[in-house]
Amino acid sequence: MRVRARYAKQHRLRFVSAIDLGRIWERALRKAGLPIGYSEGFTPHPKVSFPDALALGYASTGEYVELTFAVPVDVGAAAAAFNRAAPEGLRILDATVVAEGAPRFAKWLRASLWDLRYPRDEAARLRDGVDALASAEHIPVDRERKGNITRLDLEPALHVIAADGDTVRVVLHHTEPPFRPGEVHQALRAAVGAPLREPRLITRIAQGSPEPGGIREALSGQLLPGTRDEHAAAAGQTNRGSS
Amino acid sequence: MATDPQVHSVWPRIEPLLTGVRKPARYVGGEDNIVVKDHADVDSSWLLIYPDAYEIGQPNQGIQILYEVLNERDRTVAERAFAPWPDMEELMREHQIPLFSLENHLPLKAFDVVGFSLAAEVGYTNLLNCLDLGGLSLRADARADDDPLVIIGGHAAFNPEPLAPFVDVAVAGDGEEFVLEVDEVLRRWRRDGRSWPREQLLAEVGRIEGAYVPRFYQPRYTDDGRLAGTFPRRKGVPYRVPKRTVSDLDQWPYPKKQLVPLTETVHERYSVEIFRGCTRGCRFCQAGMITRPVRERSKETVKQMVAEGLENTGLNEVGLLSLSSADHSEILGMCGDLADTYEGTATSLSLPSTRVDAFNVTLADELIRNGRRTGLTFAPEAGTERMRRVINKMVSEADMLRTAETAFANGWRHLKLYFMIGLPTETDEDVLGIAELGLKVLAIGREHGRKNKVTISVGGFVPKPHTPFQWCAQDRPEELQRKLGLIKARVASDRNLNLRYHDPEPGVMEGLLARGDRRVADAIEQAFLAGARFDGWHEHYDHARWLQAAADAGVDLDWYCWRERGADEVMPWDHLDSGLEREWLWDDWQDSLREKPLDDCRWIPCYDCGVCPGLDLQHQTNHLPLYAGQS
Repeated sequence: MRVRARYAKQHRLRFVSAIDLGRIWERALRKAGLPIGYSEGFTPHPKVSFPDALALGYASTGEYVELTFAVPVDVGAAAAAFNRAAPEGLRILDATVVAEGAPRFAKWLRASLWDLRYPRDEAARLRDGVDALASAEHIPVDRERKGNITRLDLEPALHVIAADGDTVRVVLHHTEPPFRPGEVHQALRAAVGAPLREPRLITRIAQGSPEPGGIREALSGQLLPGTRDEHAAAAGQTNRGSS
Repeated sequence: MATDPQVHSVWPRIEPLLTGVRKPARYVGGEDNIVVKDHADVDSSWLLIYPDAYEIGQPNQGIQILYEVLNERDRTVAERAFAPWPDMEELMREHQIPLFSLENHLPLKAFDVVGFSLAAEVGYTNLLNCLDLGGLSLRADARADDDPLVIIGGHAAFNPEPLAPFVDVAVAGDGEEFVLEVDEVLRRWRRDGRSWPREQLLAEVGRIEGAYVPRFYQPRYTDDGRLAGTFPRRKGVPYRVPKRTVSDLDQWPYPKKQLVPLTETVHERYSVEIFRGCTRGCRFCQAGMITRPVRERSKETVKQMVAEGLENTGLNEVGLLSLSSADHSEILGMCGDLADTYEGTATSLSLPSTRVDAFNVTLADELIRNGRRTGLTFAPEAGTERMRRVINKMVSEADMLRTAETAFANGWRHLKLYFMIGLPTETDEDVLGIAELGLKVLAIGREHGRKNKVTISVGGFVPKPHTPFQWCAQDRPEELQRKLGLIKARVASDRNLNLRYHDPEPGVMEGLLARGDRRVADAIEQAFLAGARFDGWHEHYDHARWLQAAADAGVDLDWYCWRERGADEVMPWDHLDSGLEREWLWDDWQDSLREKPLDDCRWIPCYDCGVCPGLDLQHQTNHLPLYAGQS
């Protein structure tokens, strides 16, 4: 039986690498006594797969995993048992059984909704920066790799951007190569033309398909708008169009 | 101070730095089975430190056991810290962040006691760095009355003299009961607002059996610089401080809830000691000498610990630990029962530290069942029978080759053999014997499969205190290099014979710290001030820096490392009583020079090493002695 789950990776666990997180998942599944399936062979591996990896240092409430169980399980009870066994910061938020013949999970993960939370007194500069980026035709960002600096255009990947007090919310298309929210910060800093401090916390809120003004969360199909006030007011029920 | 409102968690200050360092998970805590208590609700607080990187120190059994023993007590808290990697140290110094615990991220000074577990000498400069980063004076006599008490334990604490000026208390032997007794003193100290004069605190702790307070002892030297003795400086202080020994391991079934790291460490397994102590009597082996007598944990306790340990951790590997695991009297039944229980599951069992004999192949087969037979490791230690008689590692070449034959025949593909060079009386023939033995084992392997491999791993011998070899001269690094060259030349042609060896230079520092006296402390401090950290790590060890530090401190390596001691030489650790009679150690040293082996006292009559009567203990084992005449 295959199960897809959305989970959170937060608090201290955000400093754990993707490889380490895989081991934490396997141990928590064993500790919870869940009948995870194993691959064949001399060194069997538990059937736990992750459609993508979160860079070290970011928090997330929008990570996904696919699990194959050896025998059918009650999904709600299994998620609760897992959450009791997992270390603080790792938590299944939503889980559902995968229908036979369902498309690969990665197909649904086409954009990410990010929150960049800044120190409080940056709010005014953030508003200016977001306004500048929202209307820019090109958003150059420099990426360094092995001493070489490449200039890339962030604009096509930037689906939605909005400021709300100390927080910038963005929806980034999953492009190849992907853009990181750290590069949104770089673009904001360039746009405000003044020193802008590093975000205190960057959190991936959810992943899914881009919709006008937000994204449709991959597992629940719920629509999440790209601005926090609308999200709070409408709880993501309507499509408000592009900000 | 725990009572000081100024002491807060440093987490908000380190969190922004963590994305800028390697492996930040080392510093965050948050592991499964972590114990986090509010310091407002406790009467005593311990910071347990393993002075190496998190991934080395986290799996340490000593830290794990004491962590649980202390935290099981109401109103006592124990937290952990490890040595920060140099990138983190740099940021901590730049931002003036003190050494911190992983549970509440509290600074070192927030604790009543700082306890270091010292498995080996290579952690000494890291120990100084931890004290320094914690804001404590390096020198114990410069500490304030209400500063945390600094205690060291672990195998290296059997010669605490090189660290004497830096520590308040040392304890040799098992820590389980000792820490609880210290905890009682801490509570009284705390009740009085940590207001006792330092001398009083030390005197109170010093009354506990096994507590050695270096400040209460004075070494005296003869005119030619040798040690005349280490003498008590005040009334009521014992001439010799005994080691602590826990008598019934079934009463101490720890770890129960082993901490599970969030990031990769050197051992990711549930570990259970199946016995402590060893009476094989290998003359080079400090662990075997200082942990006597043998105390077995019963098969039933081990099985229960494994079942609960796996349930509490989610781990899927079990390590059955001891100094010579196959020697447990119920080992075959224990392995068989565990293998039955976990057959067909993803749980694997391992048995480190095994002797060279066919029985061990049987055990390994039993543990692995239908799994893939990859590598088996054995430690013949020396290449010729003569050399093995000298070190009392009693295994014949015929036994060894038979073991290899059994292993390869049962489908094992790769044998790893551990050896030492630089042993007393060693000749070039003995050294070449290592290569010859490797080649013979490889020839047997080839008969069972063209791809079968043999690895020989060669390390330089470092003489250790409380062993029959404490009198012998250590080989110089140049001599070890030459001997390695002999082996390399002999095995160079065969690509299925893998030679692994260690750089001999760090052995000089290890030997100096192992057998050093109180005067060596200055060299450690000099090395630390010159930047020495992580001396056990190849990429950090700087030999020239250590040579310079020794020279600056007036410490003569020739004299400490490369000199054979005489019968009447007073050792810097003679006032620390491991239970072994000095006369017995000397006689055993003389026997070794005559190539005379000594059997295991579990199956021959007692030869009076001194440990059992001194502790009023006997071996705790279900082995029947051979001389009792069973068939």
